Amino acid sequence: MNDTSFASRDSSPDESPPLHIEVDHLRCVGNAMCLELAPGVFAHNHWRQSEVVDPEGDNLEDILEAAGNCPTSAISVSDAATGKVLFP
Amino acid sequence: MKLSGLPVGRDLFHPEVIADPYSCFGHLRDTDPVQWNARFGLWLVTGYDEVVWILRHHELFSSAVIRQGAGPLYPPVDPDDLHLFDGIRDFRAAQLVEQDRPDHLHQRSVVHGYFTPKAMEEWRPFVRAAVDELLDRVRPRGEMDVLTDLAAPLPVRIIAEMMGVPYADRDRLRAMADGILYINRGEPHRLRPLARAVREIVEYAAPLVEERIGRGGSDFISVLTEGEESGVFTRHQVLVNTGLLLFAGHETTMNLICNGLLAFIRHPEQWERLRADPAGMARTATEECLRYDPPVKSTQRIAAADVELAGRTIARGDRIRWIMAAANRDPRVFTDPDTFDIGRQPNPHLSFGSGIHYCLGATLARIEGQEVFRGLAERFERFELAGGPPEYQPSLQFRSVKSLPVRWPL
Repeated sequence: MNDTSFASRDSSPDESPPLHIEVDHLRCVGNAMCLELAPGVFAHNHWRQSEVVDPEGDNLEDILEAAGNCPTSAISVSDAATGKVLFP
Repeated sequence: MKLSGLPVGRDLFHPEVIADPYSCFGHLRDTDPVQWNARFGLWLVTGYDEVVWILRHHELFSSAVIRQGAGPLYPPVDPDDLHLFDGIRDFRAAQLVEQDRPDHLHQRSVVHGYFTPKAMEEWRPFVRAAVDELLDRVRPRGEMDVLTDLAAPLPVRIIAEMMGVPYADRDRLRAMADGILYINRGEPHRLRPLARAVREIVEYAAPLVEERIGRGGSDFISVLTEGEESGVFTRHQVLVNTGLLLFAGHETTMNLICNGLLAFIRHPEQWERLRADPAGMARTATEECLRYDPPVKSTQRIAAADVELAGRTIARGDRIRWIMAAANRDPRVFTDPDTFDIGRQPNPHLSFGSGIHYCLGATLARIEGQEVFRGLAERFERFELAGGPPEYQPSLQFRSVKSLPVRWPL
């Protein structure tokens, strides 16, 4: 129950692959940079840890930027169809 | 057990509390995790969940502690030195760590990218080479002061490189950092070395900043000057945050190395465990060193609203100090919390804080710790203390040994 994960079903219009995005809640410290960089994807829960609310809420570039700026590397991103790891 | 109840409720600088913060603050955590300390006029928060809650609610707890300057300086300073405080307050109040949103977000966004895990990982070979050089030099001697021979020179070397200043300036950097370390100490004369260091840092940084304006360099000072050019930082803030890097990256790393090695000396079976697989164990071992005897014992905030916490009412304007040294050993979160276990996982310690102010240099500190403990374990069969039990600086904020002489068989 420590992870949140959502897989999107449809390919998005900008040709980004459907993404599987996870936030590891054993790592997430609520630094909130992901909420700034990809506000359509990430939101805080009651404990102010990040949750994925919509894996298609931002474009791939912003999502990878959010993952890369997580100070504890709590965010992982992969291609939902192929399982290919996009980050880290 | 004589510590329970303690001088604690009164004197946070009592020698027994400085020597062993774990007994007294642990007792507080288990009996009264949010307690008013009348002597210093502040709340002491020692429970893990309570600390996390505070750290994640930045809108309720302001970081502008120095700027707001609530309450008298504690412990008291020499009255003749009080005029020095204005300059110190101007310096500290402009630091990134003292900002609240929205300014904090704008400023952190300028520097955050420099410290991402991926960017910091690129520094690992440099850190490893610096560790190797220091350890290879000292090894034939059979003894060292961990503080002066390893823990102090390593971060200076790395900070100098990050700032883009010559390593030849290291003695000057060390001297300035030593002065800045009087922040949150207990000596009555502490404002004097602090004020001198503040002045010296600004004087030292001014030409470095000036020559970087408009150059688009890649060092950390250039990152700050770009923030000035884009209107996020004032020149004063650039100078002050250059000083912050020097300070924040120095003391904390020193303490991680000294406190960590001391824990290994006192737990030889854990040292053997690390020696059996230095590369494999370095990561979790460093996290456990951070948890078990954290470089920063305590940090502070000022309540920005009236807040109910653990049955207490914290009033707007009240000072709050949380003790991560106690929270890191909260039995509600950690199994056998007083046990030093270098394989501990998960290990959600609070030694880098949490929330929007989570330590900017956390990844760098981790890499430095991992490379030091790995480098030590690869080279040294065992260490023993060459003096008595170490003495600690009279600081509320930092867990800093005054020296750590050790020896090893040649």
